[in-house]
Formats: sequence, C-alpha cells, structure tokens
Amino acid sequence: MISVTDLRKHFGEVRAVDGVTFTAADGQVTGLLGPNGAGKTTTLRMLYTLMRPDGGQILVDGIDPVVDPQGARFALGVLPDQSGLYPRLTAREHIEYFGELQGITGADLRSRTDHLLTMLDMTAIADRRVAGFSHGERTKTALARAIVHNPKNVLLDEPTNGLDVMSTRAVREIIRRLKSEGHTVLFSSHVMQEVSALCDTIVVIARGRIVGSGTSDDLRRQTGQDNLEDAFVTLSGLEADLSTVALSAKVEAHRS
Amino acid sequence: MRSSPVTQALVVFRKELMDWSRDRRSIMTVLASSLLAPVIIGVMFTQLASRQRQVEDVTIPVVGAANAPAMIDWLKQQSGVEVVDGPADPQEAVRTRREDVVVIIPEDFTKNFKASKPAQIRLVNDSSSQNARPKVQRIRGLLQRYSSEIGSLRLIARGVSPIVASPMQIEDVEVSSAQQRAAQILGFIPLFVMIAAFTGAMSIATDSTAGERERGSIEALLVNPAPREAIAGGKWLAGTATAMLGVLVTGSLLFALFKYIPLQDLGIRFRLGPEQLIRTLITVLPLCPLIVAIQMYVATFAKSFKEAQSYLSFLMMAQMIPGMMATMNSMPSKAWMYYVPWIGQQTLLTDVLGNKPINPLVFVVVGVVNVTLAVTMLRATSGLLHRERIIFGR
Repeated sequence: MISVTDLRKHFGEVRAVDGVTFTAADGQVTGLLGPNGAGKTTTLRMLYTLMRPDGGQILVDGIDPVVDPQGARFALGVLPDQSGLYPRLTAREHIEYFGELQGITGADLRSRTDHLLTMLDMTAIADRRVAGFSHGERTKTALARAIVHNPKNVLLDEPTNGLDVMSTRAVREIIRRLKSEGHTVLFSSHVMQEVSALCDTIVVIARGRIVGSGTSDDLRRQTGQDNLEDAFVTLSGLEADLSTVALSAKVEAHRS
Repeated sequence: MRSSPVTQALVVFRKELMDWSRDRRSIMTVLASSLLAPVIIGVMFTQLASRQRQVEDVTIPVVGAANAPAMIDWLKQQSGVEVVDGPADPQEAVRTRREDVVVIIPEDFTKNFKASKPAQIRLVNDSSSQNARPKVQRIRGLLQRYSSEIGSLRLIARGVSPIVASPMQIEDVEVSSAQQRAAQILGFIPLFVMIAAFTGAMSIATDSTAGERERGSIEALLVNPAPREAIAGGKWLAGTATAMLGVLVTGSLLFALFKYIPLQDLGIRFRLGPEQLIRTLITVLPLCPLIVAIQMYVATFAKSFKEAQSYLSFLMMAQMIPGMMATMNSMPSKAWMYYVPWIGQQTLLTDVLGNKPINPLVFVVVGVVNVTLAVTMLRATSGLLHRERIIFGR
C-alpha cells in the first residue's frame, strides 16, 4: 500500500510536482495517467527513493522513504523511467544480479529466476547476452530483475512504452498476475486504453497536480464525458484550482 | 533475507569482473599497456647491446695487407678483431656506405717503416656517418696503439725510456656511456608500471560510473536496497583487481625480460631478481586502489564514456609528471617525497631498482597512506551517488 500526501518537488522555478495526494491500495492496480511533462516520472522517482521531496509525505507500507530509504527499497520493485541493461550480461544474469543484491541466494534464487523466465516467456533467450535483444525483450528483462525479490509494491514507469502488441500483452499479463497475488501495482502511462484496460483506480495528473481520480466510470461521471479519452482531455486541460465539475460545465456550455 | 553491505559489495565486485572479462577491448587494453614497458625496454636494450658489441667485435677491411704483414698479424691477435680483404675501390665503397671504413696500406709502407720514417696509412671513412663513428674510432685507436708500441720499442732499442715520449696522458671520461644510457632506460620502469596500473583500472572505473549513466542503468541499480557505499565499493574492488592485474603482468614480463637481456655485456650492475620484483609490487600495488578511487570520482561527473575517457587521459598525463621530472633531472630524494602518492612510488622504485637498502616501515607507511586516501575518495564518490543531479542529470 502506498499513500502520498501533498507531495511537492520543484526544479528551480518549475513546480514539477505541486501538492499530489493519492493512495494505491493492496491488490489493486493504480494508474497514474497524465500527458508528457505532467510530473508522473518525478512523482515515481520520489516514491522509489531516488529523489527527495521538497514537501509532503510518502508512506510505502507505513515506511517513509525519506526517513528509511533502505527499508522502502526492500518493499519496492521498480521499473524506472530509464531501465538500461548491461549488454554483456545475459537475461538470467541480470535477474540473478539484482536478486543477490536483495539478499537472495542459492536454490531460492535459481527457482525464482526460472519462475520469472517462464512467466515472461523468456526461457529461450534466458542465457543470451542482452546486447542483441529487442525492445520488448529488454523491457521484460528489466521487469523480471525488478520483481525478483517478490516486492509487495511494484512501481512501473511507462512499462509498455514503445512495445509491440505481444510484449504489451505480456506486460499486462504480469500486472494482472501481480494484482491477483495481492501486490500493490502503481504504473504511469499516457495511454488511455492501457489505463482503462488495467486499472482499478485512475489518478489523473496534469502540470504537477492531481486533477481527477477514481474508476473510469467515476471520471466519466465527474467530467460528464461519454468516454474516458474525452474525460482525460477535459481533466488535463483544466485549471487545477478550479473545480472539475464547474469547468466541465463551462466546456459543455461552450460546445452547445 | 537482508544481506550485509560487504556481501552486497562482493556481489557487485563479481558482476563487474564478469562484465569486464567479457569485454575483449578492455582486456586487450590491459594487455597492450602491460606489454608496452617490456617491449620498449627490451628493444632499447637490445639495440644498445648490439651497438656495443659492434664496436668491440670489429671487422677491418684492409687493402694492401701484404704491405705490412707484421702489423696485420698484430691486429689479428687483438681480441674481437678480424681482418678481411678490402674492396677494389675503397673511396666508392665508403661513400656508398657499403663499408663503414677501409684501411689502405700503401706499397711504400714497409720501406718507410724500416727506415724509421713515418709510414703512411690511410683510413678511408665518412665523418658524416653516425653509425660508423664508433667503429672508425675503434680502428683508429688500434692503429695508434700499434704505432705507439712500435715507437716505444724503438726508444728502448736506443736506450731511452718510452715514458719520456709521453709527456702527457689523456684519459677519456665518457659521460654518455652505454651504462649511463642503460640507467636512463631503467629509470623509465616506474613510469611504465604506473601507466599499466592506470590503464588497467580505466575500463572498469569508466564503465561502472559514467557507463551506468550513459546506459541508463543507474536508476535501477540504485533502487536496490544496497547502500551506495556497497555499490561503489564493489566497483572499486573490481577496478583495483584489474589495475593490479596490469601491474602484475608488466612486472612479470619485465622479470622474464631481464633474464634474457645481456646486461652484463653493458657492464651494468642491475638485477631484477625475485626480490626486486616483489619489492616493486609492494611499492606499486597500494597505489592501485587510489588510482581507481580517483578515476571513479572523476568519471562519476562524466555523462558518457567518451567524456569520462577524456577526463581520465588528462589525469594520466598529470600522473606522469612526477615520473618524467624524476627521469629528466634526477632530484635528490627527500624524506617527505616517499609519502606523497606517485612521487613516493617513483622515489621508492628508484631506490628498489638501484638496490638501495630501504626501511621496511617505509613500505608500510606508503601503503597505509595510499589506501587511506583511496577510502576517502571512495566515500566522496558514494556521496556523489546520493545527488539527484548525478543520478538524473544528463
């Protein structure tokens, strides 16, 4: 379970994250939906301990990453924005390397690695160096090494970005499986279909602020739009300090 | 399930070495830089030795040998001297450099010699030929010796002491002797060994800091619950291992080389025996962790391999300065110099190779100083890995 309260981060004059509040519950998939530059990656970076918030609070299973970054890292599995691999290592070695850094060894490590490789349909390429991997194969490798320690909370920054259909399906499959196993999954995306297909809760972020949240039905109801895409456009175009309902009414009025 | 930072550092260490061992280019770099010293020193010495031998073993082409049989016999008795028939056209042969020098004995030699008149002898040589000069000098010296021996005998026959005919004695003091040149070449050994350490460390130091950023793998790595010190420490250990490998390879090759180089021929009292080898390693190995720590610190600021490499080549030049200075003008070694990294290694190695007695405590202190500085640098690097600008700045 991840809860974020009034999270803030600025870079010079730019307020990248400006008072973000949301909760990602156990056994649920939460989508952080927003246009490019909305503050999704910065929010996630603060969650996964590599950036220090300027204000607000984060709790990962009750652990504050600012106070106890090591503790938070044990509870987190992360597919970061940049998840580069080591070209001379094989897929299996990537998974084992991160597993060992988490303190997993021996037979336990081997069985976890084999399990992940099977689950991600990677057994055929497991012992090949990743230098020749396709984008999808790379993402799957990065995903596997991120969750080798079976973390309670999984953060994925645009996991399906640039993937082909088959790889996208594999990633979605993993996300569903993690959900069914009771994990907290929080992923960011700017792709509507993705979010609506997978998420229990959608958090819409624009210009560093949360402009709407709830199920896709909730969001449609809030904005008075028939489909989620229109709802998203409406929400992210809103001035954050105005109430969503008031502005959606204005938009309606303008259209008619 | 949580493991200690030391275990985590060892995990990183093992991964970095595995990664490194699969990079053919970085292995070639270590081998090439380790070969540099033995090859250069080997070639220089062999040349020096062969030039020296050329001078001692001399073949004298003589035209008209029959005109002075006694002198030819005397020449043949000298060690390393061989007399052969000279070419038909001596001037032409020397001008075209087919011969370095030709001795011509004119027909009237014996007539003048018997009459105790100065008997002429011609030494055809080209003074513009550098290579021929030692040989010409050697032959001229031989002939002059023969001449003065005969002169002495004549004086004795007339009841006069030959010493009377030598009011002065000129002694050559050769400064650029072969020995001196050999010593100069040996002076480069410390420099070469330190270059080997530096290049040996380079690929891991750049790959594991600037490389992590360029590949975009640093975020994923730092999200692991391993403290920055463990991650930087593991990389540091791996870099130290490859730097030491470079030093060991260079050291062993030099050791092997000096078994074959005929240093005695050059009149050099230099030995690179097992004892000197071990002392050389004790001197240079503690520098390796420091070199790696500095390289990592610098490379952490770089955003790419290329940027890191250009910073590091600059560092490499900087580290060569003390060695160069010491080689060019031999500074008297002062006590403080032993404890300054690089200068200390240079000074110590000069002592080691010069077979000077060294207090073992000096080795210990030098080692401690270097490793302490290395750990300090490593902490600074770990500190850098906490900075958002370093992790995300690209």
